[in-house]
Amino acid sequence: MTLATLLFVVGWPMLIAFALLWEQARPILWRMLPLAAAPALIVGLMLREPLTVEGDWFVLGLTMGLDDVSRLFLIFTATLWIAASSVARHWMRDDPRATGFGVLFLMAMSGNLGLILSKDAMAFYGAFALMSFASYGLVVHTREAGAKSAARLYIGFVVIGELILFSGLVLAATQSGSILLADMRAADLSGLAVALLLVGFGIKLGVMPLHFWLPPAHGAAPVPASAVLSGAMIKAGLFGILSAVPLGAVAYADHGTIVMAAGMVTIFAALLLGVQQTSAKTVLGFSSVSQMGIIALGLGAGLMVPEAWPAITPVVIFLAAHHALAKGALFLGVGAYAAQTGRLGRAMMGAALLLPALVLAGLPLSSGALGKEALKDALALGSEIWLPWLTLALTLSGIATTLLLARAAALLILAPPKVPPARPEALALPFLTLAGAAVALPILWPVLDAALAAPVLAASTGALWPVALGIAVALATAITAHAQKIGPEQFLAGLIAPFQTLSAQANTLWATKRRAARRVGNSMPRLLESHASRWRLGQTAIATLIAAVLIVEGLSVQRTTEDKTPAVLRITPAEELDGPEFETDREIEDTEGVEDAFSE
Amino acid sequence: MTETPFLPLIILLTSLLAAPVLFALPERAARLRTGINLGVAALKLVLVGWLSWKVGQGVIYDISFEVLPGLEFKLQADPLAILFVSLSALLWLITTVYSVGYLESGPHRARFFGFFSLCVSATVGVAMAGNLFTFLIFYELLTLATYPLVIHRGTAESLRAGRIYLIYTLAGGLVLLLGTLALWVLAGTTDFSPGGVLEAVVAENRLAAQMLFVVLVGAVGVKAALVPLHAWLPIAMVAPAPVSALLHAVAVVKAGAFGIMRVVYEVFGIETAQALGMTAPLAALAGITIIYGSLKAITQDDIKKRLAYSTVSQVSYITLGVALASPIAAVGALAHLIHQGLMKITMFMVAGNLAEGLGVKKVSEMDGVGRRMPGTMLAFSAAALAMIGLPPLAGFVSKWYLAQGGLDAGAVWVIALLLGSSLLNALYFLPMLQRAWFRDPTDADAPPKQRIGWMLAAPPITTALMVLAVGGFANAPFSPLEWTRFVVAIEYQE
Repeated sequence: MTLATLLFVVGWPMLIAFALLWEQARPILWRMLPLAAAPALIVGLMLREPLTVEGDWFVLGLTMGLDDVSRLFLIFTATLWIAASSVARHWMRDDPRATGFGVLFLMAMSGNLGLILSKDAMAFYGAFALMSFASYGLVVHTREAGAKSAARLYIGFVVIGELILFSGLVLAATQSGSILLADMRAADLSGLAVALLLVGFGIKLGVMPLHFWLPPAHGAAPVPASAVLSGAMIKAGLFGILSAVPLGAVAYADHGTIVMAAGMVTIFAALLLGVQQTSAKTVLGFSSVSQMGIIALGLGAGLMVPEAWPAITPVVIFLAAHHALAKGALFLGVGAYAAQTGRLGRAMMGAALLLPALVLAGLPLSSGALGKEALKDALALGSEIWLPWLTLALTLSGIATTLLLARAAALLILAPPKVPPARPEALALPFLTLAGAAVALPILWPVLDAALAAPVLAASTGALWPVALGIAVALATAITAHAQKIGPEQFLAGLIAPFQTLSAQANTLWATKRRAARRVGNSMPRLLESHASRWRLGQTAIATLIAAVLIVEGLSVQRTTEDKTPAVLRITPAEELDGPEFETDREIEDTEGVEDAFSE
Repeated sequence: MTETPFLPLIILLTSLLAAPVLFALPERAARLRTGINLGVAALKLVLVGWLSWKVGQGVIYDISFEVLPGLEFKLQADPLAILFVSLSALLWLITTVYSVGYLESGPHRARFFGFFSLCVSATVGVAMAGNLFTFLIFYELLTLATYPLVIHRGTAESLRAGRIYLIYTLAGGLVLLLGTLALWVLAGTTDFSPGGVLEAVVAENRLAAQMLFVVLVGAVGVKAALVPLHAWLPIAMVAPAPVSALLHAVAVVKAGAFGIMRVVYEVFGIETAQALGMTAPLAALAGITIIYGSLKAITQDDIKKRLAYSTVSQVSYITLGVALASPIAAVGALAHLIHQGLMKITMFMVAGNLAEGLGVKKVSEMDGVGRRMPGTMLAFSAAALAMIGLPPLAGFVSKWYLAQGGLDAGAVWVIALLLGSSLLNALYFLPMLQRAWFRDPTDADAPPKQRIGWMLAAPPITTALMVLAVGGFANAPFSPLEWTRFVVAIEYQE
């Protein structure tokens, strides 16, 4: 395994991209598209030993390689790209801008694979930039007004992200005295450098408040591009943080607090923003934002308490892979569903879509549930003060995800996205493969890396109630919205009406039954659509519900942990009323100051 | 080592002697003229290659004639000179090919190529000047040789541009003359030498040394287009495309930037200049120029004008790197001398091709040009992304070193400056790329595409590949970056 092999893995999609410019070769090349990421997958599966190779002449000294972490990233990223390429091949068949799409799709692929294989800052930054800039073309592809504005927003965030990242890497390189990412993450980087790196990568990860570009871009891009944007590319942000930030080596308490708070807000705020959207794919984009909030909780805890990081790492990677497969499957599934014209086909695709949706929501035994439970276990090693809140947030995130996915499902049924004429089964196969992989992830993961899978397998199976509650709330909200729409009296009247009129109309009912049924059937979609726009009211109800649960649970948890906290930290009810955090902080600082004075 | 001590002189004379021949050739002897042009340019490139090899081995060429007692005409091929000589020799060959394609059907070709040849001789002279007096001679010759090129078209606009150009540069030349005299009086020599010649003067008369610094840097700052001495550059862009290309990438602007290097490193010496307290204001001025040029560039609709303001901004990266007084920043500055040359020459040749092939001269007319001239626009895209600073392209390497140099010098603001500048670069280059690649051609009555020959198409693609290569293989032996490290080790006397 040499430098040439790794360069080939990265260069192969690029070669196909350049060859696409040659008109005669295009039909063959499009057929080859699913093979573009194949070398990456093969290398990922075959290479089990860590590897580092160097090429001194390139840029400022190129270092590439593969370790346990990047190997797993490479495998799930390549899998996703292969599935998306298989769809893109059919999706773009009659598209007048297919060539441009193909070239940029392959370049983004090359960048995405390249950054995973990079071991030095330049190569990483270059590949990251290639992926980000090439994806502009994927977002803007349809040239519709929505796509254009989404693409503008996207490129703005990309440029700013690249600049912040550049300064972060320059600082990290200066402070660590090396351009190798491994040296950076072992060095005692300054708070500013870490902040810049976190923001630069955070934009790609889409954690609030850096998420603005993400949902519109994922909504506007063609289905195969959305799948890789949401599945593979946002994980590049996570990968960057894992590669360059000295997690587990140095404590960055302030950064950790902010990241964790951002993660908490993200999980639930994405729900509130997401349910207002009117396109299924944009809602899925918000769901990605929400899921990245979960990952941010892990990152924040690791920043805060370095000792907890070794336990958090494998879980975060597992969650990344889980989200990549499930969300990729959902996006491809949206396309596969919309491509079906028959009722039976749609019903089957809809049923198949339930699989990745439930996995993502965290049905017991699914990768979603295992990941979250494992994260709870790992976080137990971290900050004690935060732990109950984190556990609660993780549990409730199941409700948030379920609600978002319910919203996406309603929109998908009511307003399926436009799909180019393509063979439905050609679009269904990659989707089903990914969905299967998402379901089977708890079984596949230990095969790929037993050591990193151990904490996930040790986790408990998770609870059913968040998902069930989410579904119940979704249904309740739909009914409430319906009641709001037609007025409470009429709604209630509508509920009793059948009984009132039953006897009166008993005679005529039999005759008119068939006609009435048809009328109701016709008006159903219109009714449902109006609910969709009326969702805002329901969402307020959800927010209140969540807030109430948070408060009640939080207070009870606070009480149980009270006895364990040291005297300085103990909160008396009076202090709690006028800002307990401020008070305790000051007390801690005071004691520290005294200690310092003594030691000096 | 006295192996062919005349080699620098021969290199200077190749193009200098070709000039009168080119003037004398009749207008219709196109083939012969092209032959001479390309032959001499190629010969020069080979000789420069040989010279670089020798200098790389540690040979220093030094040849001088006494003009007045104590005042010498001196040519010297040190590593810093080689950096600039090789850039001009290489780009001269490429621009010659381009010029032949661009102008061969137009009028006054004999005059054009004659002055073109003189212009390159002057540039080489500026590069290899061994003292400030010799530098002054070639600096003035450069002004006079480029003037006819700027006004080549003979239109009222180009005559006006030429006039403004002359006023600025001749005034700068006059100040340089005074500065040279002052240096001679103060230091008793005008020689360039690493570490400077003014240490004794600084100890005696600090104020005089400070004033001399302002005078000399101000004089060369005119050509380097430092704000507020930059106004001639955007106006001079009315010149034909190959002239603009050469002006912005190699000849005039770079002579100014190179002059700043010589003055700071070899007249004053970096430590002396720093001790005089002059480097910090110079860095600040460079910073202002960088931001100002970019801000102006954003508002330009004319492609060449936008590129011209971009040059104002980008050339000051070089000044900034010199003024930061950190060896790491110096590596970035010197490498940027080459990198900016390759990027900007690509862009100006592309601008020329767009005007020739499609009649597109404005940014707002660039919709869909990517599909109409893919090769040319690919070259432009590479250069533009390099300017923004994406690896592995050339501009990234310069920016990386400048940023690290800023930290090394304790000037954290440099990072913010570079961020701002990159952002502004993105703001004026990305819309051009967006129009070229992601918009459909709008007006149906656009002039039909003219076929441009290989002599126009190949040069920008070649330089764009070099942009990729000097960045992608920055660490390879004989890359500009490697040579730059070699030079900086000498200038910082490490």
